[in-house]
Amino acid sequence: MQNVVVFVEHKGEQTRKVTYELATEARRIADALGGKAHALVVGAGSQALAETLKTYPLDTIHVAEDGDVDTFLLDPAIDYLEAAAKVAGPSLILLPNTLAGRDIAGRIAARLKAGLTSDVTNVTVEGGKVSCVSPKLGGTSITSCTYKNSDYGVMTVRPNSFAPAAGGAGAQIVAIEKPAGKTYAMVIESEAEEVSGEIGLEEAAAVVAGGRGMGGPAPFTELLKPLADALGGTVGASRAAADAGWVPYSLQIGQTGKTISPNLYIGVGISGAIQHKVGMRTSGTIIAINKDGSVPISEFADLLVVGDLFAIVPELTKQLRATVHA
Amino acid sequence: MKIVVTVKLVPDTNSEKRIDAGTKRLVRTGVETVINPFDEYAIEAALQLKEKLGGDTTVTVLTLGPESGKEVVRKALAMGVDDAIIVSDAGFEGSDVWVTGLALAAALKKNGFDLVITGGLAEDGNTGAVTGALAEHLGVPGLTNAAKIDIADGKLRVERETDSGHQTVTAPLPAVLMVTMGVGEPRYASLKGIMGAKKKTIAILPAGELAIDGPIGSDGAKTELVSVAAPPARGKGRVVTAEDGPSGAKIIFDFLKERKLI
Repeated sequence: MQNVVVFVEHKGEQTRKVTYELATEARRIADALGGKAHALVVGAGSQALAETLKTYPLDTIHVAEDGDVDTFLLDPAIDYLEAAAKVAGPSLILLPNTLAGRDIAGRIAARLKAGLTSDVTNVTVEGGKVSCVSPKLGGTSITSCTYKNSDYGVMTVRPNSFAPAAGGAGAQIVAIEKPAGKTYAMVIESEAEEVSGEIGLEEAAAVVAGGRGMGGPAPFTELLKPLADALGGTVGASRAAADAGWVPYSLQIGQTGKTISPNLYIGVGISGAIQHKVGMRTSGTIIAINKDGSVPISEFADLLVVGDLFAIVPELTKQLRATVHA
Repeated sequence: MKIVVTVKLVPDTNSEKRIDAGTKRLVRTGVETVINPFDEYAIEAALQLKEKLGGDTTVTVLTLGPESGKEVVRKALAMGVDDAIIVSDAGFEGSDVWVTGLALAAALKKNGFDLVITGGLAEDGNTGAVTGALAEHLGVPGLTNAAKIDIADGKLRVERETDSGHQTVTAPLPAVLMVTMGVGEPRYASLKGIMGAKKKTIAILPAGELAIDGPIGSDGAKTELVSVAAPPARGKGRVVTAEDGPSGAKIIFDFLKERKLI
């Protein structure tokens, strides 16, 4: 494999920060391999988004403003991605390690008879061979993998793993032809946004997570949300809080939820049991607020403040706001 | 209707797991093997459908692993699953998600199915890609992250969790479906279930009896594990007791400044 193809996950003209991280990384990998960096944008809003992507160091941006991509689940996007991979030639396909990214990765790897590595946090290229590093078993082992027996490789990349850097020679935007003779069976009948306008949990630079100690749903919106906003971050939760119905499961961090690596994690009223720990242990700085000083999180938090979260959190939010506005 | 649940046998979730740096395999000795916790939700979803659909609906559990997995699989039978198939062959050593997908697809073709249900992420591999691979290899719709499942007139209607909310998707059967925890907590095996499980069939299927579309084991794998290392240690940090709200806030505020996070 010599080239790189980035699959761009987006809603209309909006995409996530991870897209720019992947576009930047694609350039670096393609240069190391002596190949080209491609991106594929399909569905409503693609044309406009491609113009934005042009400010990143890609060679070619393949575009299809095709409504089928938004009407039918997965299949049209997979067909376009297969077509783009064929146009690019032997290549490494990069996708974000998100729900949607993982869905597409599993399908396209099987379609291209390619190896698949997931949740990658670092990539090295040596002698034309791509190696990728990813934490496994909830971060208890760091593995390094390579691809073999295929012209293609597929990789899902953990958001926040690479720094996005704009700049480039101005990619060419080209229309990609719709694969012929396909029928699509999975119909998206309706769609509802629950956290629209929020930063995605997996790509937030700061996450304020609440647990059993929050005692109910109200403190999440009244205490944690303002603190997260003051830090420019977003709110997460432990499984206990999601199971209690205080927050939707989409906010759950841990073994059965999301894996995050923000620069800053603040766990409020969270004990930090292993199930939660594996979802956040690779965070940059870990701070905890808990009334109990002997909770498991005390073993791996950089700072544990033992005290009343209901008194500390509003004060902290106030102090942070005062600093920002000073 | 024929429902098949694919499950993975993994080391117990509640123990810290590790990969041996020498053999690059999961260390399974001294750690109890269990059904991947996510896959228990797939079993629960299948049993709920069986109760709802009634008639001649059957639920089979399918796994790839050592013959010793029999005792682990029996838990699924005790929960109410009708029978089990273990695809077992020493030749699978060194397989990756590509080979696993091919082997499970071959077993599904041989056994027959109307609906395949999978769990979310595998605890130990974290690829979450088997659903997509099966959909491709079997040439049927593949839907992930299903929280609610309805079947009527040979059609699936599924409420899926997405990164930003949820959506409703319809698809014809046969299909592959990955479920989330939203389907409901996995049931416990009843005493009657445990007794009954002893009489249920667990078939062992060697690779030779399957039409697997390519080499297996590390010869067929498309990825190779090169090295395994322990993560940088994360030591115990500061523990400070706060007298009141303002002092607790100040401790954190100063720490954030010290770390240049604000």
